[in-house]
Order: sequence, then C-alpha cells, then structure tokens
Amino acid sequence: MLGNLDINYHRLMTSSLHRRILTSLLILLALVATACGGDSESSDAVDDTDSITVYSGRDEELIQPLIDAFTESTGIDVAVRYADSAELALLIQTEGDSSPADVFISQSPGALGLLAGEDRLAELPADLLGLVDEGFAASDGTWVGLSGRVRVVVYNSELVDVSDLPSSVLELTDSEYEGRVAVAPTNGSFQDFVTAMRSELGDDDTLAWLEGLAANGAPNYPKNSAIVEAVGRGEVEMGLVNHYYNLRALEADPSVVSVNHFLPAGDVGSLVIVTGGAVLSSSDGAGAAEELLRFLLSADAQGTFAAETQEYPLLDGVGAPAGLPPLSGYAADTIDYDVLGDGLTGTIELIRESGIEQ
Amino acid sequence: MAIGLVFLGPFAYVVWRNVDLGTDLGSVLFDGDTLHPLGQSLRLGVAVAISAAVIGTGLAWVTVRSDLPGRRIWRLLAPLPLVFPSFVGATALLAGFASGGLLEEMLTPLGIETLPDMRGFRGAWLVLTLFTYPYVYLPVAARMSSLPPSLEESARLLGRSPFAVFRTVVLPQSTSAIWAGTLLVFLYAISDFGAVALLGYDTLTEQIFADKLFDQPRAMGLSLVLGGVALIVVVAERTLDRRRRRIEVVRSREPLVVPLGRWRWPAVVIVGGFLGNALIGPVVVLGFWALRGMTADSETIGLATDMGDLLGPTLRSAQAGLITAAVALMVVLPLAWTISRYRSRVAGVANSMVVVGFALPGVVIALSLVFWAVDTPIIDRWYQTLPLLIIAYVLHFGAQATRASQVAVDAVPQRLGDAAATLGAGRARRFFSVEVPLMTPGLLAGAGLVMLSTMKELPATLLLRPIGFDTLATEIWGAGERGALAQGALASLMLVAISAVLTWVVVIRRIEHY
Repeated sequence: MLGNLDINYHRLMTSSLHRRILTSLLILLALVATACGGDSESSDAVDDTDSITVYSGRDEELIQPLIDAFTESTGIDVAVRYADSAELALLIQTEGDSSPADVFISQSPGALGLLAGEDRLAELPADLLGLVDEGFAASDGTWVGLSGRVRVVVYNSELVDVSDLPSSVLELTDSEYEGRVAVAPTNGSFQDFVTAMRSELGDDDTLAWLEGLAANGAPNYPKNSAIVEAVGRGEVEMGLVNHYYNLRALEADPSVVSVNHFLPAGDVGSLVIVTGGAVLSSSDGAGAAEELLRFLLSADAQGTFAAETQEYPLLDGVGAPAGLPPLSGYAADTIDYDVLGDGLTGTIELIRESGIEQ
Repeated sequence: MAIGLVFLGPFAYVVWRNVDLGTDLGSVLFDGDTLHPLGQSLRLGVAVAISAAVIGTGLAWVTVRSDLPGRRIWRLLAPLPLVFPSFVGATALLAGFASGGLLEEMLTPLGIETLPDMRGFRGAWLVLTLFTYPYVYLPVAARMSSLPPSLEESARLLGRSPFAVFRTVVLPQSTSAIWAGTLLVFLYAISDFGAVALLGYDTLTEQIFADKLFDQPRAMGLSLVLGGVALIVVVAERTLDRRRRRIEVVRSREPLVVPLGRWRWPAVVIVGGFLGNALIGPVVVLGFWALRGMTADSETIGLATDMGDLLGPTLRSAQAGLITAAVALMVVLPLAWTISRYRSRVAGVANSMVVVGFALPGVVIALSLVFWAVDTPIIDRWYQTLPLLIIAYVLHFGAQATRASQVAVDAVPQRLGDAAATLGAGRARRFFSVEVPLMTPGLLAGAGLVMLSTMKELPATLLLRPIGFDTLATEIWGAGERGALAQGALASLMLVAISAVLTWVVVIRRIEHY
C-alpha cells in the first residue's frame, strides 16, 4: 500500500492538474461573462416605454412574422416568451402584479378564463371586442379571439371505410367504435370540447357519453399531434383532434394516410376552439398592448393565419383557409367561453369520474 | 448550511402552496384516484430501477473492464441515450418499432406482420429503461475504472473464475456507485411525464399535469406526495448506505482488463444490439425525418430546415449545460464532503432536499423560483436572466451530482490527507493535490449527468430563460408544437451530437486519462 502511495504522489505532483483546473475555470468565466453580457442588453430594452412583453402559448414560427410586421409598422419593440399556454397562465398567476408581461396569447380559452377569474386580465375596449363575432370574445371583455381551429375526427383511410365515419360525436359510444377512436383526456382542447358539451347537453349526458367512450376502451394519448401520428401509422383507426395537425402531417409526408373528417356544422363535436389574446391588468403599456391585438385582428394578419397556418380567421369578411369548409356553419351555435374558463374544474372532475383516463 | 437552505426552496414552496390552497391532504392521499396512479408510479419506478441497474452495471463492466472490441466507441455511445428528451425519444422509438412503424414496414416483405404492442406498462418500462440506464452506467463506469487491480489479481491467482471475481471483488466495490445511480433512475422514472403520457400509462405525474391549472390544490397535494416518496426513498437509501463498508480507492495502475475469450463477439452483438435500440434506432428514425424534410418540396411551409438556424441554440445549450454542471459541482461538493467526512445531520437534511428537487416536476421547480424571486429585493433583478435559470437547473438536477460526489468523497482515504499533512502540505494544497485527483472520475461522472439533463430540460427553461434564449430543447419543443417533424428531428440530432462531443471532451476523455 505504501508503494502505491508513493507512486501516486509522484504522479500527482508531476501532473499538469493545476494548469488544467486553471484553464477550466477560465473557460467557465468566459461562459459566464458572455451570458451576463447578453443579459444587460435585454434589460436595457425593458426600460424603454416603446416596448412591450408578450407571453405567447402560440408557436414562434406561426406568430413571430406577424409580430415583426407590427414592430416595423409601429416602432413598438415586442419581446416574446414562448411556452405552453397552461404553464404561462401559471407563471402569470405566480408572478402576480410583478409580471413583466403586457399581453398573453393563449391557445386555450380555459387558461384565459382562469386568469380572468383571478382579475389578472384588463377589460378590452368595445371596438376591439366588436371586431369578432360575439361568441369569439369573452362576455366580460377580458379577452378577444384571434384565430380558430375546428374539432374533427382524423381517420386512417386504409383502415376505415368512409361509410363507417360518424355523423356526430355522440355515435362514438356505439359498440361499432369499440377501441377504434383515440382521445387525449388531459389535453386542453379536449377539455374545452367537453366543457362545451356540458353547456349544450348538461353534465349528466356528458358524463354518460364519456363513460360510453371509456367503456369502449378509447385509447389515450397525451396530445393531438401524438394521435395524428398514431392514426397515420395505423396504431389506432380514428381520433378526436383539432383540424390543423393533420394538415401539418400531410405537409411533412404527402403519402401519409390520415384524413380529416369534418363533422356536420351544428354537431356538438364540431366546436371551434379559439386562440385568444388578452392585456394584463398589471401592464404599464396597455395602449401598445391593445394596439398589438388590434394589429393581429387586421385583415392582413387574419389573411396570414388562413394562408400560412391554415387556421380560421375570426375577423368578418376574411375567408376560410383554402380547401376547408367555411366557419360560418360552425359559428352558428357558439359556446359561452366564460363557461369554458370557470367550468374547467368541473370538466376535469367529470373526465376523471368517467374513467376514460387509463 | 446556506446551500441546504436554497435547496429547501422548492419543497417549502410546495408545502406553502398546500397550506395556502387549503389542500385536504388526507382526502387527496387516500382517494382511489390517487392511490392507483401512485401504485402505478411506484411499480414503474421499481421495475425500471432494477432493469437499469442490471444493464448499466453490465454495460459498465463490459466497456471498462473487458477486452470488448471497439470499447472506446462503446464508452462514448453508452451515456448518450440520456440526452433524448423522454417525449422525443419515446416518439422516435414508437415511430421506429411500434406497430405500423418504419421497422414493421421494412419487415413486412419478410413475412413479419405485426410487432408487439408497446402501449401501457410494458412500453413505459422499456422506453424508460433504455433512456435512463446511463444514470447507473456513468457512476459505475467511473468507479470501475478507478478500482485497484491488486485484489482482483490476487483472486484470480487463487483460482477464482472471472465471473466469481466480478461477483466477489468488483461488484462489492462498486455497490455504492450502483445504488447511487439506481436511486436516480427510480426518481427519474416516478417523475417522468413525457414517455408515460405518450404510452398511455397513468401515473402520478400525469395526474399533476392534468390538474395543474384547474385543480391546483390537488396538483400541489400530489406534488407533495411525489416529494414525500422521494424523501422516504432517499432516507432509506442513506440508512442502508451507512451500514455498508466504505471502500477506499487508491489506484496506481491501469485497471485489470479481463479477456472475454470466445465471448468477445457475442458480447459485441449484445452491446451493439442494446445500444442499437436505445441510441441508434431513435437516431436513425430522427435522421429519416430530417432527411425527408430537407429533400421535400421546399414550398411547403414550415419545412425549410436550415442547419445555420440551429447554431445559436446549439451554443446556448452547451453553455447552459457546462455552466450548470460546473456550478452544481461547486455547490454540491462541500455538501457531500460534510456528509461523508463529518456525518453532519444538517448536511444530511440538506442532501435529502437536493434529492427531492429531482423528483418534483420541472414546472413546480420553476414556479417555486418565480415565487421566491419575483418580489425579493436584489434577487428580482435576476428574474428571467441566465443566473436564475442556472439556479433552477442546479435545484432540479443537483441530486445527480450529490450522490456521485459522495461516492467520490468516500473513495478518498482519509489517511492520504493525513500523510500529506505530516509532510507539511497545507489544507488547500492537500485538497488540490491529493483529494481532487482521487475524486475526479466520480465527480466528472456526476457533472456529466447534470450536463446531459440540463441540455434536455424543458419546462423550467421555457418559463425562466431570458427572452430569446433559444436552446435546442426549446427548438425541439417548438417544432413539436407546430407538428414540424423534420425540424424537431434535426434539432434532436444536433442535441445528440453536441452531447456526444461534450461528453467526450468533459467526461470520458478525462476519466480515461486520469
């Protein structure tokens, strides 16, 4: 053992360890320095009155070009934090009055409803709210819809005969559909959809429908895109999703065999889910914030939604994306979105009670 | 002390939220809706921990201590599956191997029609094992590479078979490293969300996710349960650990290399087959998506994949990973030192808190930091800057460094320091010339784990990063949100590549040269 010790000492003393530790520390110092350098630039911008901060649950690629256009036409700088809508709502809730955010753009009306319920959102001016149909803005004026997507049944065209497709979501509890229709019970869109169903059919019928799906062994997935992928490779035959995921999948791979089936307008399953924008009550740049929402509801911006992201524009007079059924039919029985916000706790309880989560 | 206090932050936040929201813990805990997913979580955690421990240990031995052909390459590849964000890894694995996937398409002409169903417990167990065994592999490989060969040589000379030597000499000396890694695997498995959600296996984390917005009392109650499970496990593990004999390591020569003989090539097939599933399979699937995207008609929107756009995110991922790993080591080493050398009770509590940080969901860690930082004078100036993000990472992943550090500190014989002291070496000089070098492999393994975890972390990154601080993880998330497979695949491949480079430069090369 003593021999080992000697050898070890010799090795250590002659090694270049000190030098290596020193270089490592220097590299680290350089990394930290560049990191801090980056920070100071961004904090300068925050002091500028002509700048606002947006928390966006909408993806960067889809909305950043419009925000750049806004900055170009108004000179207002916009800093955007992109993250999941529900998590941004939690962030705003935790930040309270100290929130750096001026605008919140959410993919789900539910997340907006939560913040409205806690008085975190300011009331928007009437002319801004009036740009969209009544059903597409909050009745208490705390948020306005910017674009919409429609709930559809996506199906695998090799496994499903067109005559087998349902003409209403209510048919999905039939034994004919046992194990064939995938759902995403923890996903915001599915929860919004179930809430809409509650406001239309009542809790008892909604629960019965969910229990029917559960009894049918509807496979679970965490989100829409996962369902579309599973349907595409034939793991499951059909799924309840938002319309544009399959359009994306088709762009990535034109040979994919998943197809969107639009339920007839007026069916409880053909809900329009809006992406909404709101101004925070703690914002010190409300004017610029409202200007941004107004810009996103301009004819140009709305046309971009239809053309680039295949979402439904909500401004009157701007047409639906090419190749998709018009929105007018779907807007016919609009849902009171405040129910969607406040009522989500009840919806989640209902979903859990039904046993559809496996 | 102070270090322990900071680590108390997230857990204290969860406790406070429970009180504030008036969570009725009794009803949350003893509700069938909780017990079922809790049982599912524990079952998955135990199953994954066992399989990952076996695989990680076996792989470490065969790549470090045998004459496996190409072992340097295997050593580089073996830790990498850790870097797949679990959702991406699971998606790629499903696309490759699940029914209707790429593999089935290739096999259909050969007469194989359907592959086994991957959903549920089986799939979750398989996917998590494939992606978490590096938690065991890295510390154990570091340990095995620094074991003195003398004992093994004696055992061989006395006629023991190679397997018996492994069982009676190598394995006992590696036990603490194996336990350290297995604990991390267990905690990862019970706190994972991405893979279990995709495979339709209902666990506690899935419930927290579903409740986080509209049933916050329950979500916070469940987070507390998760933290409690982690606490129980870590205390149990420490009690066991205390009973174990400490094995000090003084290495003077290269570790013994065992010739595999006629098992050489079968071993290559097994190791290759395993890594083929855990690493190469997902990489091939991702490569296929990326290639398809880049060669597709460029007019289709959202598919113009541009490698240049990924340069910034790649550098920022590397930056965040390296800084976090270094800070985590600096923070955690004194803690490990006090626990191991002085058996300090306070340090023991602090250590438990560090471990709890790993079991809590990333969102909870992020929100706890927001909660503590946003209105606190001085600290609030750091809000949404890189330093605070790094703190979040360290709180979340510190556990991966503490256990590795403890194992490393345990390995330093106290008498060496004493000997150096009698020779007149000062405290600092003793530390840098005797102790640090002996701890190096263990510390580097811990730092490597922290680095890889940081680079794939998502929820805390999204909420706490400075605005515009895009990393590869956020790019992958964004691509997933808009359904752009090709861009997500390309960013994932970059993440694997940069991880490979950093793991080689920072961890493996140094352990080897040590």
